[in-house]
Amino acid sequence: MVDAARQPLIEVKAYTEVEKVEGFVGNFKVTLREKAKYVRADRCNGCAACAKACPVEVPNYFEMNLAPRKAAYIPMSQSVPLIYNIDMDACIHCYKCVEACGALEAIDFSIEDKIIEEDIGAIVVATGFGHFDPTPMTEYGYGRFPNVITAMEMERLNNSAGPTRGSLMRPSDNKRPQRLAIINCVGSRDKRYNTSCSNFCCMYAIKNALLLKQMMPDMDISIYYIDIRTPSKGYEEFYDRAREAGIKFIQGRPAEITEDPDTNQLFIKSEDITLGRVVEHEYDMVMLNQAAIPQPDQNHMSSVLNVAQSPGGWFMEYHPKLRPMDSPTDGIFFAGACQGPKDIPASVAQGSAAAARASRILHSKTWQIEPTVAVVWPDRCVSGKGQACGICERACPYGAIDYTKGISAEVITAKCHGCGACVGECPHDAITQLHFTDAQVLSQIRTLLAVEPEKKILAFRCQWCSYGGADLAGTSHFEYSANERGLRVMCSARMDADLIYEAYRLGAGAILYSGCHPQDCHYITGQIAGAKRAARLDKMFARLGMSPGRFRIEWISAAEGDKYARVINEMQATLDAIPENELKAEIERLKPEMEKKLTKLNDVPGVEEAMIQVDFIVSEMQNKAVPV
Amino acid sequence: MNHTVSADSFAEQVKAIPGGEMLMMCFSCGTCTSKCMIQEKLEPNYNPRRLIREAVFNLEETAFSDKTTWLCTACDLCYPACPQEIHISGVITAVKQLAVAQGRQTPYQTARVNESTCVACGLCVEVCPYEAIALVEKKVPFRGLISVAEVDPGKCMACGMCSAACRSTSIRLDQEFNDNHVLENIWTWLESEVF
Repeated sequence: MVDAARQPLIEVKAYTEVEKVEGFVGNFKVTLREKAKYVRADRCNGCAACAKACPVEVPNYFEMNLAPRKAAYIPMSQSVPLIYNIDMDACIHCYKCVEACGALEAIDFSIEDKIIEEDIGAIVVATGFGHFDPTPMTEYGYGRFPNVITAMEMERLNNSAGPTRGSLMRPSDNKRPQRLAIINCVGSRDKRYNTSCSNFCCMYAIKNALLLKQMMPDMDISIYYIDIRTPSKGYEEFYDRAREAGIKFIQGRPAEITEDPDTNQLFIKSEDITLGRVVEHEYDMVMLNQAAIPQPDQNHMSSVLNVAQSPGGWFMEYHPKLRPMDSPTDGIFFAGACQGPKDIPASVAQGSAAAARASRILHSKTWQIEPTVAVVWPDRCVSGKGQACGICERACPYGAIDYTKGISAEVITAKCHGCGACVGECPHDAITQLHFTDAQVLSQIRTLLAVEPEKKILAFRCQWCSYGGADLAGTSHFEYSANERGLRVMCSARMDADLIYEAYRLGAGAILYSGCHPQDCHYITGQIAGAKRAARLDKMFARLGMSPGRFRIEWISAAEGDKYARVINEMQATLDAIPENELKAEIERLKPEMEKKLTKLNDVPGVEEAMIQVDFIVSEMQNKAVPV
Repeated sequence: MNHTVSADSFAEQVKAIPGGEMLMMCFSCGTCTSKCMIQEKLEPNYNPRRLIREAVFNLEETAFSDKTTWLCTACDLCYPACPQEIHISGVITAVKQLAVAQGRQTPYQTARVNESTCVACGLCVEVCPYEAIALVEKKVPFRGLISVAEVDPGKCMACGMCSAACRSTSIRLDQEFNDNHVLENIWTWLESEVF
C-alpha cells in the first residue's frame, strides 16, 4: 500500500465509498463519497498527539476487539495515508484533540462528507472477503468459552504489533497455552452454513501451527481436519515440514467442545478416523479456523456495480475457466477473494491479470465488442409514437437501453452484450439483434422444417450452454434421434415467442426450448427472462390442447451431453407415441391459432425479402433438387 | 469387495428406501460418531460413519452384523450436527430394514408378550415410540383365537415403555432392565448412604 501510494500515477482514495457507477467500458462515471475524517489531510502529520489526548476508548476493530482504541485513531499502523480520523459515533466533543493538535490546526469538526464524480476508464474490484462468525455453532462454544478463539483473533494475539505484543496468552488467565487445538472447516464444507470449501484454511492452519511451534517448540499442537488440501506448488512439502516439526494431525471433525468451568480447560471429543475410535483430548486453547464468506456488503456492491453474484454470494466472473478475472460487464474486473476464496499467490496472479486487462482498455482508442448487438428500428418503436412501453429497458440485464417516453428507445451499443433479451421481449418487433435478425432465424426455421416437419424435433439452443451440451453429446458419441434439428441463438432470452409460433405453424413435431441453468447464464439474468417466457408459452400451448411433451423446456449445461441426448431421445419417444394421423390433425387444428399470433412478423424489415429467397430454397428441397 | 454400481447393489438398495437417499453424500468427517450417546455410554465399537461406509462399498454382510445397525435408537443427536445434513438414523434404519427383510434378527433383546395374560387393551401400541407393536388375531394355547399384542423384533429398541405402561405385566423385557433389575436398583439406592 505504501509503495502504491508513492507512485505518481496512483491516487489512493482511502475512507471513500463507491456510491454509483454509470456509463460503460472506457467511459464510466463513478460517484464517490469521501467520508469526513474531521482531520485535514494537508495538515495532519500523523504525530498521534490527538489520540494521546483523547479520553474516549472503544473496541479496536482491527485488533478483533481484543484491545481498545481512541475515538481519534488510525485504523492500523501501516495505514495509507497516515492521517488520523475522528470516530464521530464515539466522540464526546470534548475538543481535547483540538488543543493537543495546537498550532498545526489539522482537526476541523466542520468537515462534511464530499461527493466526487470521476471519469473512469476501467474498474478493478478488489473488495476481499469476510469472516464467518462461529457464534451460531453452539457446539464449539465460541463466545461462551473464553479460550475458544477464531483464526483472526489468533492472528492478532500472535502478532508482535498486536495487543499482547506478540506473546501468545489465553484470554481466561493470560497464561501461555501449552496445548493448542486448531479446528478446520468451521462453517465451511457445512451445508448448514457455507457449502463450499474456503480454499486456503488448510494451509493457513499449518502456517499458524508451524509459526507457533517455531516460537514455542514445547507447545503441543493438534489440527483437526476432514481432509487436508494442499494442492499448489510446495504446499505438500510444507505439510510435510509441519508433521516433521511434531504437529499432530487428527482426521475427524469434532462434534463438541466442552469446558471445565473452574479451570477453563477445554475438552475436544472427536472420532479419530484413522484410528477408528473416538478420542478425547484436553487443551488449554482452541483456535477455530473459520470459513471465508463474502463481504457483508457484497450484495450492495453487486447492485452498485451491476455485476451478478454466484450462488455462494461471491461476484460472478465472465467465465469460470477462461475469463476468471473479468466481470460480465465490460471494463469491470475482479482481483482476489471478492470473486471467490483464494490464497495469496492466486490473488496476486488474478490481480495482475486484472490490471493487465484494465490497462488494455486505458491504452486503446477504440474498443471491440461482440458484434451481435441489438438495434432499434425507431419507426416501429411505439415509444416514439407517444405510447408508454419500456419493456426492452426492463428486459436488458445490462441497463444498456435508454427509454424515455415520447422518444424511441435507444441501445447504448458499448454496453450491449448481445443476448437478445430485448428482441425476444419487444411486443412490437421493433428491436433486432445483428446476426440473429428475425429474417435470419426465420430462414433457418423454414429450411429446417422444409421436409416432413411433423417428424422433426426443432431444438432452440443457447450459444453457451445447451449448444455446448449438444456439441458434447456429439463428440462423446452419445446417440440421439436423427430427427433433431438444432438452431443456435445467443441466449434463451432471444427465443422469441413468434419464432416458436412460426415453427408450429410450419408443422414442427416437437420443439425443445433449452438454455443454461439459471446460475450459469452468461447474460446475468437472460435465462430468467427466457424461462419466464417458456413457462408462459407452455401454459398457453396446454390450454390450446397441444399434446403434452411437444413443447419441452430443459436447462442443459455445456457439460451435460448425456442429458442433451437423453432429452432428445425422450422427445422422440413422445412423438412416436402419438399416432401420425392424430399428430397431423393436431398440427392442422393449431395452425390458425398460430397464424393469429403471427400478424406482425411479416412486416418486420427484411423478413419479406428473405422469405422470397427461402421459399425458393424450400421448394427446391421439397422437390429434392438440393440435398435435405 | 463388490464395487459395482448396479441398480440392485446394496448401496442402491439402501438409497431406494426412504431415509437412505443421502447415503452417498457422506464425506466421512466422523462428527456423528463423536456426537453419539450410544458410542459414549454403551458400546465403544458403535460407529455410524463406518456403517455408512460399509453401505457405500456394498459390504452387506459386515453392515448386517455391525452393532451400529441394531443399536441406533434414532435419537437424532447426530442429525443436526452433520455438516452434510444427512439424516443418519434414516440411513441406519434403511440398512436395518434390509436386514430384517432378509430374516436377520437383532442380537439384542426385544420386548416379549405374555400371550396367556395379554388382554389386547392396546396401551403398549399407543406408547411405543418405534411403532413396533401391533394387535393381531392369533391362536393362543388354552385361549383360542383371540387378539393379542405382537412385537416386531425388527423395530423394537427395548426401551421398556410398553413394559411400564402395561397394567397386567403382560409385555416386558426379560433380559436386562427387567422389573427385578429396576427394583433391585431402587432398593440399593434407598439403602445407600446417599439418602
